[in-house]
Amino acid sequence: MIKGAIAIFKRDFKKFLGNPFVIIFTLLMPIMYLVIFGNAMGGAISHVSIAVVQEEPYIDQTPLFTPVVGELKHMAQPDSPPTFDIAVYNDELKAKRALQTGGVSGVLVIPSPLLPNRPIRLYVDSSDSVTPTVIVSGVNAALVKSGSHSQLEINKIYGDIKYIQFFGVGVIVMAIFMTTMMGGGIALIKDREMGIIEGYFVTPVKRSSIIMGMIASGTVRAFLSGFVIFVVDLLITGIMIQTTENFLMVLLVLFITSIGITSFMVSMASRFSNQQEYASMSAFFNLILFMTSGAFYPVIGMPDWLRWITIINPEYYAVHALRSIVLRGQGLDVIGVDLIALCIFSLAAMMLGIATYRRTLE
Amino acid sequence: MTPPAASPDEEEDTLQHPASSGHCSAEQCVIRIEHLTKTFQDKQRTVTAVDDVTFDVKRGEIFGLLGPNGAGKSTLIRILTTLLSPSSGTAYVGEYEITKDPEKIRGIIGVCPQNSTLDNELTAYDNLEFYGKLEDVDDRILPDRIWELLSMVGLTDRAYMKVQTFSGGMKRKLEIVRAFIHRPLILFLDEPTIGLDPESRREVWHQIETLNAENTTIILTTHYMDEAEKLCGRIAFVNQGRLISLDTMDNLRLLLPAGDLIEIGFGRMDDRVLVAISAHSLVISAEIKEQRLFITAKNGNTVLPEILAIFDRYSVTMTAISIRSPSLEDVFIYLTGKKLSDGGGSDGAQGGGRS
Repeated sequence: MIKGAIAIFKRDFKKFLGNPFVIIFTLLMPIMYLVIFGNAMGGAISHVSIAVVQEEPYIDQTPLFTPVVGELKHMAQPDSPPTFDIAVYNDELKAKRALQTGGVSGVLVIPSPLLPNRPIRLYVDSSDSVTPTVIVSGVNAALVKSGSHSQLEINKIYGDIKYIQFFGVGVIVMAIFMTTMMGGGIALIKDREMGIIEGYFVTPVKRSSIIMGMIASGTVRAFLSGFVIFVVDLLITGIMIQTTENFLMVLLVLFITSIGITSFMVSMASRFSNQQEYASMSAFFNLILFMTSGAFYPVIGMPDWLRWITIINPEYYAVHALRSIVLRGQGLDVIGVDLIALCIFSLAAMMLGIATYRRTLE
Repeated sequence: MTPPAASPDEEEDTLQHPASSGHCSAEQCVIRIEHLTKTFQDKQRTVTAVDDVTFDVKRGEIFGLLGPNGAGKSTLIRILTTLLSPSSGTAYVGEYEITKDPEKIRGIIGVCPQNSTLDNELTAYDNLEFYGKLEDVDDRILPDRIWELLSMVGLTDRAYMKVQTFSGGMKRKLEIVRAFIHRPLILFLDEPTIGLDPESRREVWHQIETLNAENTTIILTTHYMDEAEKLCGRIAFVNQGRLISLDTMDNLRLLLPAGDLIEIGFGRMDDRVLVAISAHSLVISAEIKEQRLFITAKNGNTVLPEILAIFDRYSVTMTAISIRSPSLEDVFIYLTGKKLSDGGGSDGAQGGGRS
């Protein structure tokens, strides 16, 4: 029995050592967890943009306005950039429009005569899980420091949004990624491992046909699973989609996201000839992309270097677009940029996949 | 049509019959291979799987590529079927050069690789349909063609079963018919009958001959001598990456000393036996190797009784007798000094050809 166990041990260990790629990724994973998860979730919130408006700007600035703005501007966590970016607006309507389209995270309206029936009003983007709390406590602190005793009226423009509703949207994107991880590129590698490719490489089928075919099939699967999780998410978190138009837009975003992520995974798979290597690589990307997508925690809480990753992260755009539609009921004017970014990403991934796919046995 | 004078110690040189050397004319010639070399780079060493090979394949012939395991046959096939690129030299398949027009070549060839490339998770029908589509078979005739091929190999009742439930022989047959679903101009069969029972082998041979009669050029690798003898018009021997001989079966036989081969095992030899046998007028040569007496003789059938009589006269006991006409295997042994079947052991270094 011992002899057999030793033989099995040796065989398995030799295989392990013979695969340095997998060893590296096995070690890299926890380190990445530490660095990315730790930074993405625990980072000090900074650069939250707030619009500050003086009611009736043609009247002289109230004694409160200037000190509050000053206090907010200089508020910061130790060793961090300023917590707030203050934009002074002259027009309350313009400021509110900026809030609705995601340009700013909060609007502070200071009335000119400070009367008991004219409270200081604060509007916050409640679709975000973190920034409203930061803004409310920051504004309160600034008011106290400026010596104001007026009451603060807080308006959550999207009502009360629970964390599960905030997070649920991210899970839809995760479902898409998971499906592509299991299905997207792995069939290509399996074919290579099993030698099946030798059979179809001798047919006139083009490299681009192979990649596009794989992407098409992966996209359909990813879209279906994204859709199923979307419906489950609505049922569990109790979100209502208000209009048919919004529903169709969700489908559009799901579809383009599926194309983007599937293209990415297939293009990665086109270079691999070992399922294990591919699996560790895709787990790695799953981590990075999902952590930096803003699904768990708003991007605003991440250090700058992590925020750079979000710029090329398709999941960031997908999460943003879905949240815009599902939680805020926003339209194409807001998600247009996300869609364009996703399309550019998909196109680049497809081209990379086609260019790097080896259509020989070498 | 005389065989070139060559002895085993000259095996470095390619033994080629004058008639088959040189290039055939463009319309005759369907494959032209010119100084093709393929080396595989490893961490420790460089393996030359195909070493400066030059030959032509004529339109409409069944061309045999023979050699022991690891001789470079499969590598050569993979280069010709555009799966590998040559390290140096070139080849033309049809009118296309292998590195410049691989796509055009893929359109005119059919390939049955050595290892199974069927998709086990698909049914037999789906496997054929998949290839039919990739080979751009007209959708209107594809279903009929698939059923035709399935009935050809007796798999119609299993059309909708997954290939993973098939026996090795059934898979092999399915793979072979798949290779010609699109009626290719040239068909490459890499060890087509490996692992098949005798009856299935005959069926496959019959298929190959039928296809050839329809003007398909067939390139066949094998290490079964009988297969090559039965099917192939011309035969190329490959060993350690080099072409060592290329000729028709009949001409290859001429390379051997004429006559039949008689092999007799014995217990304890009496020297007078050898003398007496050598003295026989029809005996060409007689020698003893490892407790066996090897005799070549004209009209072996008539000489044999007389040889037996000589053994009897000196009371030497025999343990075994065999008599046969020289086969391709003998030609091979003659050319390389080793048997086809034990190639794997002595030139394992060439195994790089099969990665």
